[in-house]
Parts: sequence; structure tokens; C-alpha cells
Amino acid sequence: MSENKILFNTGSFDEISGEIGNLATIEDSKLKLTPDNADSGLAKLVLTLVELIRKLVEKQAMRRVDGGSLTDEEIERLGETLMKLEMKMDELKKHFNLTDRDLNINLGPLGDLM
Amino acid sequence: MEKLIYAILSQDKNAGRLTSLLSGIKGMSSASLEEVCLDDITVVTSDVNKADIVASKSTALDFARVIETLSQQYTLLPMRFGSVMESAGAIKKMVERNRAEIVQNLRNVEGRYEFGLKIFCDSEKLMAELKEKAGNTITLQAPEPNVSVFRDYVNRKLSEHRLEEMLVHYVDAIIAEITATLTALNAVQKIKKMVSPAMIIDAVFLIEASLKDELVSSIAGLQEKYPSLNLMMTGPWPPYNFVDFTVK
Repeated sequence: MSENKILFNTGSFDEISGEIGNLATIEDSKLKLTPDNADSGLAKLVLTLVELIRKLVEKQAMRRVDGGSLTDEEIERLGETLMKLEMKMDELKKHFNLTDRDLNINLGPLGDLM
Repeated sequence: MEKLIYAILSQDKNAGRLTSLLSGIKGMSSASLEEVCLDDITVVTSDVNKADIVASKSTALDFARVIETLSQQYTLLPMRFGSVMESAGAIKKMVERNRAEIVQNLRNVEGRYEFGLKIFCDSEKLMAELKEKAGNTITLQAPEPNVSVFRDYVNRKLSEHRLEEMLVHYVDAIIAEITATLTALNAVQKIKKMVSPAMIIDAVFLIEASLKDELVSSIAGLQEKYPSLNLMMTGPWPPYNFVDFTVK
């Protein structure tokens, strides 16, 4: 475009264009299933969904703790469960050689899943 | 040869004006532009081999340049990159099938342009600021010596949760201010929040071109109020995000 389209900008142009560039680089967050990587591709998909559900459960649990509706004993049990879930997820990620960054799926115009 | 579609516009009463404008612009890969007309609607196209379309920066810019040039003189509906139909006859049939939606969408964007606003932050700095502002409401009481590892884990997670909630409220407050400004300017808006840790708001507005300066000054006011954020506003653009129909 010949015309300058930036009407207002207070940030460093390089930083901002870098950030937009990062958003545009969605290759990493695409699900790539091929005959050669069916195992790891499927593991990535399944673990992403498990991680999403784990985070939702954790969020809901924190809402309940914050709301003061749980007893000390219930909070204790909740802590143990959430901690074990997180540790199990870490184990699975390690086993399938995945990082936190891998556990996301780009949903196109809707953005990232998490 | 198929037809690559760039944009749909209301037919110009001055028949020669569009033809003359199109003769001065080149389409994707330097193709000549043509009009396909049906009653009061014109579709701007160029010949293309569907198999030859390559999605590259250069072809995307060629495509966008046509839409941009046309939008400076016409109210139009930009088409998605790579929209291809087999012939002019097929395009006419498509226009016939979708006439009501096309007319309605052209009416919605008439005399208006799209503007974009992206709000960036240094997420770590912002979180630290919010944490400081919140003081004791975020951090729970000092860990008791006998607290179990599970309780300690919940406490840590609760602090993170409260901080996240604060960030969401902070972003919601900014969105409320933007929305109030835009409502006063009679703008149509689409706002996404928390796009990434650094981009907390990504918004597009459809607004009358004559209100551009007013919009810029409102955004400057917002920037003054939130000096730790970086606001970037762009436009005017063709109404890329405000065409609301699926071709039947």
C-alpha cells in the first residue's frame, strides 16, 4: 500500500511488528498429522484437549476457593488432586517430547485455543 | 481460464468511470481487470488459472492493492483472497442468488471505512503494576509454617488466578472506554481481548471517513490515560471485517 496506514502509534515499530509477526506465525500451532508422525500428532491433539480441560477445572476450582464455599479439608484434597494432575501432565509432556507451547491449537480467525 | 473476484460494488451511474479506473490498475500477477455487471451490481475480476494461484506476499499485496484503490472511490465488499469462479456467467448467477445479502451489506458499509486498533503491553510489567496496585488482595497471608504442600499449592494457584482476573477486569475497563467513544461516533465494532500476552486488545471499527480525526484524538486521549500501554491505530481500510454473508 502506498499510503501510510498507521494513524497513531506510541510503541516501538520494530517491537510491534515483531509481535504481529509472532501472531502471524501460526505454523507451530497447526496440527500436522502425517503417516510418519501419527503417534506424536495424535498425542499432541489429545494432550492439548486434556490440558484445556485441566485448566478449566483448575479455574473453576480457584473460583470456588475464592468464593469461600470449601472447607479446609476440601481445599486440602483439591490441592492434592490439582497438583497430581499437573505432575501427571508434566510426565506425559516429557514422554511425548512436548512443551507448553506445543499444547495449543490455532483456530484461525478465532485465535489460539488457549 | 477462470475468474478471480476482487470486490463487489454498486454499479456506477457513470458507466465509463469504473472502466477507466480499472484500465489504470493491474490485478494479481499483472492481469487486466474486468467488470462483470448484473443490473445494479458490478463484480471486479481478472482472468486466472486457479491452479496457478500462489498465496505469497506479493500476490496478496497485488490483490489488496486493487481493493484498496477501488475503495477510495466506491463503496465495496472486498472478497477473500483466492475467490475464484469458473466464468462470468457463474458470477452473474452467484450475484442473482445472493442479491439481497449483497445489497444489504453494501448499504451497511456505505460511506464508511474500517479502522484497526491494537493495544500492546509489556505483560510482565503490567502484571507487576497490577499486583502492586492490588496489594494484599492478591497475595494471601504469609505462609504458615505448618501449612501442607497441597494447601501451599492451592494458595499459589489462587494468587495466579486473582492476578489473571485483575488483568481481565483491567482490559474490560479499557474496552468499556473504547466502546463508549465508538458509540458516540456511531461506529460498528468488533473487539477481541487477550489475543496474546503482549496484545491485550485487537479491535476493528467501521466508521464514517469524516470522523477519522475525531477517532484519532479519542485514541490519543486513551493513550494519555494509559501511558504504560502502546496503542496502534491503522486505517482507513476497506471493510474487510464487516462483510457479513456467506456466498450461496
